[in-house]
Amino acid sequence: MVDNKVEKILIVDDSEMNRAILTEILDKRYELVEAENGEAALEALEKHKTDISLVLLDIVMPVMDGFEVLAVMNETHIIEKIPVIMISAENGTGHIKRAYDLGVSDYISRPFDAEVVQKRVNNTLMLYAKQRRLVEMVTDQIYEKQKSNSILVNILSHVVEFRNGESGMHILHVNTLTNILLKLVCQKTDKYNLSEEEINLISMASSLHDIGKIAIPDNILNKPGRLTPEEFEIMKTHSAIGYSLIEEVPYNKDEPLLKISSEICRWHHERYDGRGYPDGLKGDEIPIYAQVVSLADVYDALTSERVYKPAYSHEKAVEMILNGECGTFNPMLLDCLKENGDLIQDELKVQSFKDFDKEEIVRITDEMLKRDLIKDDNTAAASDVSTVSF
Amino acid sequence: MTLKEMYQAFDGDYNDVMGRLPSESLVKKFVVKFLDDKSYQLLTDSLKNGELETAFRAAHTLKGVCQNLSFTRLYESSHAITESLRPGKLQPIDTINQQLETVSKDYETTVSAIRRYIEQDN
Repeated sequence: MVDNKVEKILIVDDSEMNRAILTEILDKRYELVEAENGEAALEALEKHKTDISLVLLDIVMPVMDGFEVLAVMNETHIIEKIPVIMISAENGTGHIKRAYDLGVSDYISRPFDAEVVQKRVNNTLMLYAKQRRLVEMVTDQIYEKQKSNSILVNILSHVVEFRNGESGMHILHVNTLTNILLKLVCQKTDKYNLSEEEINLISMASSLHDIGKIAIPDNILNKPGRLTPEEFEIMKTHSAIGYSLIEEVPYNKDEPLLKISSEICRWHHERYDGRGYPDGLKGDEIPIYAQVVSLADVYDALTSERVYKPAYSHEKAVEMILNGECGTFNPMLLDCLKENGDLIQDELKVQSFKDFDKEEIVRITDEMLKRDLIKDDNTAAASDVSTVSF
Repeated sequence: MTLKEMYQAFDGDYNDVMGRLPSESLVKKFVVKFLDDKSYQLLTDSLKNGELETAFRAAHTLKGVCQNLSFTRLYESSHAITESLRPGKLQPIDTINQQLETVSKDYETTVSAIRRYIEQDN
């Protein structure tokens, strides 16, 4: 027995007799649900969802046959969560191969041996339960890792903010905006092809964008009035300094967080038309994440109160950005900003430093596992690994 | 008549079924249940009405049940008609009718042996 609770098995066969035999063989150990054709099976799956731990599926049935059920289970990805054992009198290798191609875990031919059926059912259930437990463990680990990373980055960026005498909310706003904008960019184009994991990493890295200000003298950094041109030149060095600070971290050189945050530091004051600093990069020479942080930075500066200006409304801020009063940006990014005013304002309202909600981590883990499986698939011949993925 | 003798009466494989299913009482239970199985009736009805796809499924089900119970002779004849009715590989109607005759004969032999066994058991 895998868990303490009795596992539920769905038996799909049009012959009452066949269902009765299987019921007799499996009864007492499991809770059994029966369906007399494919359509009834899908209804049962819809009703019981992942309460069902295993499906025993016949092929030839009226209304909807077993292969059609498998096709739907593939479309809805249920097959990745609930294992299927096919039981059929169709013993041609064509049918068996097709069943495996559609993701079944096992294939039992008639006439079957009662004990063998019990063993195979039990093995499949154990394997899936073990797999589920492993995925849960990995998810927990990733969650913990992300959480401690994000706590450390937050402390670090807060130190900088503290010295700036800024509201303390700027880093949080930029973080949230970066996250939303990157998701919107990915909906709009598949050019950058960022995974949810990367988007999270970039959002975290965005918190460090002003870390170079740690090296700017107090009298300039916190000067109440306008900066002189000379002072402004010194102020501008914060982006290259931030880059060097992170770049010169002597360990973990290959960590994506270091690479991304150093580049965000360096290039978050570049302009799409090439008239920014420090390198005068133009267009997509500026990595998309630096472009996004740059826009988020400007938007938040406009919508927040400063010693020298009031907080502008979202509409006013967007208008100023679109009019080019605050630099030039990637038109595609501006579209994202323009088209999603409500979403952006809502997210900023409810924002808090995302403690990386569990659901997101589950998705990220899922993404990672799928990626690893694709790799395996490429190296490991034609064996069907997808049947054990989640 | 023992269960074993009943199996012999319709060319079933008693040892095979006993090897696969957990107990004789269970085999007996399913053998009795076979009398209520509708697939043979569905096969003849649907063939009469020219519903070939339904006939294929019915023959297929009958074949599967016979396999489970080791009704060897009836399995063989229902297997033959299943293949003749398989969509895409449909055989001439004469062949099918001939095969149906064999299935009917085997079915009657099987069912009457089961009935005799039950009666005498009571």
